Amino acid sequence: MKTSLKWGEIGFRYIFLLLFLYGCATPEERAIKVPVSDSTVSNPVYSGPSEPQLHVVEIKDMKFQPEEISVKKGDTIMWVNRDMVTHCVTEENKKAWTSSNITAGAFWKMVVEINSDYFCAIHQVMKGKIIVE
Amino acid sequence: MKLILKPISAVTVFAMIVFGSAYAQVTPKLTDPEIASVAVVANQIDVNYAKIAKTKSKNADVLKFAQTMSDDHTAVIKQAVALVTKLGVTPKDNAVSQKLLSDAAKTKKQLNSKSGKAFDKAYIDNEVAYHKAVIDAVENLLIPQSQNAELKKLLQDVVPTLKAHLAHAEMVQKEFAK
Repeated sequence: MKTSLKWGEIGFRYIFLLLFLYGCATPEERAIKVPVSDSTVSNPVYSGPSEPQLHVVEIKDMKFQPEEISVKKGDTIMWVNRDMVTHCVTEENKKAWTSSNITAGAFWKMVVEINSDYFCAIHQVMKGKIIVE
Repeated sequence: MKLILKPISAVTVFAMIVFGSAYAQVTPKLTDPEIASVAVVANQIDVNYAKIAKTKSKNADVLKFAQTMSDDHTAVIKQAVALVTKLGVTPKDNAVSQKLLSDAAKTKKQLNSKSGKAFDKAYIDNEVAYHKAVIDAVENLLIPQSQNAELKKLLQDVVPTLKAHLAHAEMVQKEFAK
């Protein structure tokens, strides 16, 4: 009984320490920790069925890949620019939101709330679509 | 016996543009340093056209397109210079680069002689034609002839950018067709 309490206390302290350290990181630092590899694209990173998921859209060869993505409300999409030129991600109809410039090799992420048609305002023929399931 | 006429190849068309119809059958042969020179010159020409557009045009779509051309082609030049520096290759002047430059000088003169909507139309028409010619040259001349794998890959990577520019230019061009 005494031992299990002790272990419980250690566990609690460990979780507290982890949460404390996470809280010290800026949103950018947290984002950098997200692994961005080819496997991330096909296997979105998530921690559970009810948790918000992270989806990756690659900007490559002047295309959003995938061009159409289905997500749940509250999920995050991260656009990663793999091209040698600067791109952006902008809501197409009302310009409701924009990433501003995403330079070569950089990324931008957004929590998704509603369906959106978006485009690259720099290269207006590049278009994408977000569908909230 | 039927006479089979081969369709004229894109490379032949480019050769005709570059060297004139008398030399149409001759496809220019380029070394990697010469290909690097053509790549840098072709990009710089479009940056220069954009510079003219930015001083002469008042059309928002034309200005935005010109800014994109200036930014993107500058980025491509930067990549090309970084690669040739890494490879220890010095871009070498050649007949194709020279022809591109002399044609560009004529086009610049024509563009500078126009103003207002006539300028905007001339600039966009030239961007459509120029990107078509450059895509043709990169796909059918520069990529097949480049020896170094990294140079070849850079040229291949540039093609989607050029094609997106062409589609963008054609989109703006429709504005002036009304």
